[in-house]
Amino acid sequence: MKLTVQVWRQAGPGAPGRFERHVVDGIEPHLSVLELLDALNEQLIDSGAEPVAFESDCREGICGACGVTVDGEAHGREDNVPSCHQRLSGYADGSILRIEPLRAGAFPVVRDLIVDRGALDDLIRAGGHVAVDAGTAPDADALPVGEERAELALDFAACIGCGACVAACPNGAAHLFAGSKLMHLSLLPLPSLERQRRVVAVVDELEELFGPCSNYGECARACPAGIPLTAIAAVNHERLLAGLQRRL
Amino acid sequence: MPSSSPTSSVIQVGPPSPVPRERRHRGVPSWSLKTAMAITGAIWAAFVAIHLFGNLKVFQGPDAFNGYAAWLRAVFYPFFPKEMVLWGLRVVLVIALGVHVGAAAIVWARGRRARGGHRVTLRGMRSWGAWLMPVTGVVLLAFVTVHVLDLTLGLAPVAPEGFAHPEAGVAHAYGNLIASFQRPWSAWFYVAAMVLLSVHIAKGFANLAADLGAMGRRWRATLSAVGGLLAVAVLLGNAAIPIAVQMGWIA
Ligand code: HEM
Ligand code: SF4
Ligand code: FES
Repeated sequence: MKLTVQVWRQAGPGAPGRFERHVVDGIEPHLSVLELLDALNEQLIDSGAEPVAFESDCREGICGACGVTVDGEAHGREDNVPSCHQRLSGYADGSILRIEPLRAGAFPVVRDLIVDRGALDDLIRAGGHVAVDAGTAPDADALPVGEERAELALDFAACIGCGACVAACPNGAAHLFAGSKLMHLSLLPLPSLERQRRVVAVVDELEELFGPCSNYGECARACPAGIPLTAIAAVNHERLLAGLQRRL
Repeated sequence: MPSSSPTSSVIQVGPPSPVPRERRHRGVPSWSLKTAMAITGAIWAAFVAIHLFGNLKVFQGPDAFNGYAAWLRAVFYPFFPKEMVLWGLRVVLVIALGVHVGAAAIVWARGRRARGGHRVTLRGMRSWGAWLMPVTGVVLLAFVTVHVLDLTLGLAPVAPEGFAHPEAGVAHAYGNLIASFQRPWSAWFYVAAMVLLSVHIAKGFANLAADLGAMGRRWRATLSAVGGLLAVAVLLGNAAIPIAVQMGWIA
């Protein structure tokens, strides 16, 4: 099939950006949006032009490296699917695709379609980890975790850190990401020891770097890991509880 | 104010981020603002529900309605002086509205800033509902003002001609209301405001569930259902009054 791509080109951070128009011919509909960009880049390299910079790694929806905005939708038109899995088969022959970086105030463009998602790393640095000294590895069943609880923790742990939730949000909020980390950790025995300290630290960073949540729900539609909207309630849930409890 | 220093409560692992980022260090945190909006919104929703119950007495005739208005002025008399409860309620409502609208303005502005000026695509009911909150909110603020000028203070040019103030425990609320709703612009403005109010309440309760941290399926479903029922009741019950006056069913 033949597709027209309007792709965002930007030389560097803070440089002015613009859309560039290219036609890619003979592309198979079962290919993904990223493979469309690959084909475009081959064309560009052949003609001696600079290829479009974009990020990807696993190309199987597990690493969180990819992420572009297609026609205004984070990752692409299909809900809960990462860019590397967004197929071209939904587009009619001759369609125009407007491809730009993930958009958010907290994600400055590095180059073309690559953005700096380091603000998410700052959240992890603040509390998306386990800092308790757990000593040597305990016996496997010394600390039993019920199956339901373990499954729930794993569901929240499914976040691949792609940042699409922030880019889909009209408020530039990262509540889905932060809430999934908070729930994943506070459901498990060792990480739950620092539950209060963690939520205070994470929410402080969230406040400084991202927007407030107004419950648009766009994040859960974009999220390739299928993190449910309860994760955004988890942020206030954990924060309110920490405020009510005695600090140790 | 841009700065790269992380917050003091950060449990540092690894070297601090070398990248300077835009950080907002000042102001009441958004999560507290949202919690305050949920509480003040719920106070107003409770008032709207009680007010609706009183309004429906209009269909029982002037005596029932005026009696209700007079009762409002003398609740818990003689334990409290006359109008004390009414004034207490008014003070709470005005403060709650101030907090609610102030917080809404700050949250809205922070959201625009964090988006970074990029366009967004809104998909689905939930998203449009959230988009409608500030829109319906601003109209509601105008409505509350008009409503108070019209039927509480009786100030021209909003109030109907011949507005009668309550005197010596006798209320003229029924007559004032009919006089106001006999003016078509007034009646249809009230109906339109009730449509927006019901949208605001329905979406507001879903927001309230998230902002108060309700994570359980049952809590969330219950709060949404309460919001939906109240929204429908407000729309049908309140809007019926100006329509009934316009149609000449009550006079
Ligand atoms: C009759 C009066 C009102 C009622 C019953 C009411 C009720 C509510 C409720 C329950 C919420 C959910 C709170 C939350 O986000 O957790 C809410 C949200 C909101 N209200 Fe109101 N409200 C009223 C008046 C207003 C007015 C006059 C404004 C004026 C600007 C306003 C603006 C907003 C906004 C923008 C939100 C969404 C906040 C966000 O999530 O970003 N409301 N309202
Ligand atoms: S919550 Fe979903 S959309 Fe957000 S970063 Fe994690 S995987 Fe990506
Ligand atoms: S490239 Fe790994 S998730 Fe898309």
